Amino acid sequence: MKIPLLALFAISCLAQNEQDISSGKALFRSNCAFCHGLTAAGGRGPSLISPRLVHNTSDTDLTAIIKNGIAGTTMPAFESLQSDDVEHLVHYIRTLAGSEKTSTTITGDSAHGQQIYASSGCANCHRIGNQGSVYGPELSRIGAARSVDYLKQSIIEPSADIPTEYEGVTAVLKDGRKVKGVRVNEDTFSVQIRKPDQSFALFDKAELTQVAPETQSLMPAYKRLPAKDLNDLIGYLETLRGGVSAGKDADKAKGIH
Amino acid sequence: MKKFLPLFCLPLFTLCAQVTPERLNNAQSDPKNWLTYWGDYSAIRHRNLKQITSDNVQNLRLDWIYQTGETGAFETMPLVVDGVMYITAPKGIAVALDAKSGRQLWQYKHSFPPDRKLSGVNRGMAIAGDRLFMVTPDSNVVALEAKTGRLLWQIEMAPYKAGTHYGSLAPLVIHDKVIVGISGGEQGVRGFIDAYDAATGKRVWRFWTVPLKGEPGGDTWLGDSAMRGGGPAWMTGTYDPKLNLTYWGVGNPGPDLFGEVRKGDNLYSCSLVALDPDTGQLKWHFQFTPHDLHDWDAEETPMLLDIEWRGKPRKVVMQANRNAFFYILDRETGEFLTGRPFARQTWAKGLDDKGRPELLPGATPTAEGARVCPGLAGATNWMAPSYNPDTKLFYFAVREQCDVFYAEPPVYTAGKAYWGSVFRGATDEKEWGLLKAYEPLTGKTAWEFRYQKAPWAGTLSTAGNLIFAGDEDGYLMAFNAQNGKNLWKMNTGARLVTSPMTYEVAGRQYVTMPSGGALLTFALPH
Repeated sequence: MKIPLLALFAISCLAQNEQDISSGKALFRSNCAFCHGLTAAGGRGPSLISPRLVHNTSDTDLTAIIKNGIAGTTMPAFESLQSDDVEHLVHYIRTLAGSEKTSTTITGDSAHGQQIYASSGCANCHRIGNQGSVYGPELSRIGAARSVDYLKQSIIEPSADIPTEYEGVTAVLKDGRKVKGVRVNEDTFSVQIRKPDQSFALFDKAELTQVAPETQSLMPAYKRLPAKDLNDLIGYLETLRGGVSAGKDADKAKGIH
Repeated sequence: MKKFLPLFCLPLFTLCAQVTPERLNNAQSDPKNWLTYWGDYSAIRHRNLKQITSDNVQNLRLDWIYQTGETGAFETMPLVVDGVMYITAPKGIAVALDAKSGRQLWQYKHSFPPDRKLSGVNRGMAIAGDRLFMVTPDSNVVALEAKTGRLLWQIEMAPYKAGTHYGSLAPLVIHDKVIVGISGGEQGVRGFIDAYDAATGKRVWRFWTVPLKGEPGGDTWLGDSAMRGGGPAWMTGTYDPKLNLTYWGVGNPGPDLFGEVRKGDNLYSCSLVALDPDTGQLKWHFQFTPHDLHDWDAEETPMLLDIEWRGKPRKVVMQANRNAFFYILDRETGEFLTGRPFARQTWAKGLDDKGRPELLPGATPTAEGARVCPGLAGATNWMAPSYNPDTKLFYFAVREQCDVFYAEPPVYTAGKAYWGSVFRGATDEKEWGLLKAYEPLTGKTAWEFRYQKAPWAGTLSTAGNLIFAGDEDGYLMAFNAQNGKNLWKMNTGARLVTSPMTYEVAGRQYVTMPSGGALLTFALPH
């Protein structure tokens, strides 16, 4: 059978394309899935299948993000990936974009959600822009960084996934006093704690009788929040995409637009 | 048998060969110097220096620092010969220093062709006569003049191709031969151990760590899988001059986590091989982990000891293996004497009377993931242990860390990693580490000290009743060898990824440890 040259070229391109995507998938599993999830629907890292990926506007941007990471976030630089690997990875991520189911989008009243945020005392631990406390994770860009499902779980069941940098710890001093807070750092001989009043408590372990990790999140579980309020709160958090006062300036400084 | 010919010696002009074969054979009784990667040929790493002791170590302080100016893991093991220290740094760099002051005497930089990768770890050099030997990230062996750092010869172990073979270990010199192994166990290479003539650089023999069909052991590999079978040798071997046998650990088979394409035991991966250093002939082998699926290279130190075993003197080799078992073998014959788990493990019920593991179900990597202890990096790894003949204890770094192993059929592409899928740290618990003082004959733990994280630094034993050790947070520490009491510590500011060493110059004992891009040397105040 005679195949027109152009068709042959097209078939060969298609085959190459499929191979690139499958190579991209393998690379995704080994390098990205740990944070973004095996199906890229998000986890500790944002969903990559959402129709609106905030960081990328083009393949060039996406390539730069993979190669350089995003300063100020937990997205690391994958410097060791070869450029054809990054290309395959971008190609694969492109095939996922927009595949997110509509059921995980939120329809909450964000204005009411903002009131819930204020009345529930969230700002006692969290910061948006310049407002609030640094005891818990900053939320200025949380709508871009986490999926709706993840946000929901974080509010009603915060212990389900505790980011390493916000694990709780209680230090017991020799006189019996206890200091509980966020474990900022810990090594074999010392522990550094951030207290709820945002100040540091810094100990040599020799001064302590015990350093006890908290098994539960330091954040209370908001299980009794009415469904509508929860929905509205998530609706509000979803609007937080770095466009808030200092948060916006910081993003600009990092080159994120 | 050809003998190494020392250079003509003119005592008046002190032009004698500095390091004779006799001197290397007797390195254990020359504790002021550090003449091989391990300090001596046996890798006991116990030095008979006692200026720094468990009574005065609290006064130990930083004496000098040498900054390499290089980034990347700094894993060198310094050599010290009569007051001169020789180290390597990443990117093919060798340096000679005044061991008293840290002042540089010369520096050599390997010349890379323009297209070649420059980074790459290096674990140090070997010395014989007036010559130093090192390997380079682009798989060369180079010989340097010890006095000047001048290049004497250079030879390629394997043709260069990015992302395949590379060189990282410190060579081992036996008589007139420079013995080296190749790295690249994750790159689908076929491993080997080579010997080069110290005078000319000519290759004298090669031992393929992965035999092909028709060769002994070749039937332990499915199809032509041996061609990409891994089995690198990336850690320096040890040597018994009386038996004239050299002992080398062999690394993991490839693809690492997917075994279907390489059914069989996959000799000599994850094995210890005993070779005749003159010919490269295999005397015996012992495989710790047949058909490994978890990247458990057998690159941990094969330490040589003469002990009493069931009432009779016996020449043995000991290894705390990455697979979480501690082994004692007869080093004349390779006979398995004993093996016990020293850390948590979930892959084997135990070992049979030949030392072969009896497998537990559920440890094979799958598409969905299998949680296995120890993790991929093993319950210990290449960081050196030490043995104190007075306490009769074996001191080593233990990693308590588990992984979830995934498997997927891999496609081999030259220059790309050949893992056969991925592994991830188990998220249901945090890793930790131990410095363990272990009775090799009974398997009992005499004492242990807990580290916050799983360590990558080894230990050093001295006659001052001290164990020096390092942790993942950058602490260099000294312990009472008898009871494990932590007597001294210093935060060096970077994770420690090699093992401490000690030497003496002009009546002063020093302890040296690389950290970050700096070589730190400690001593008692004058």
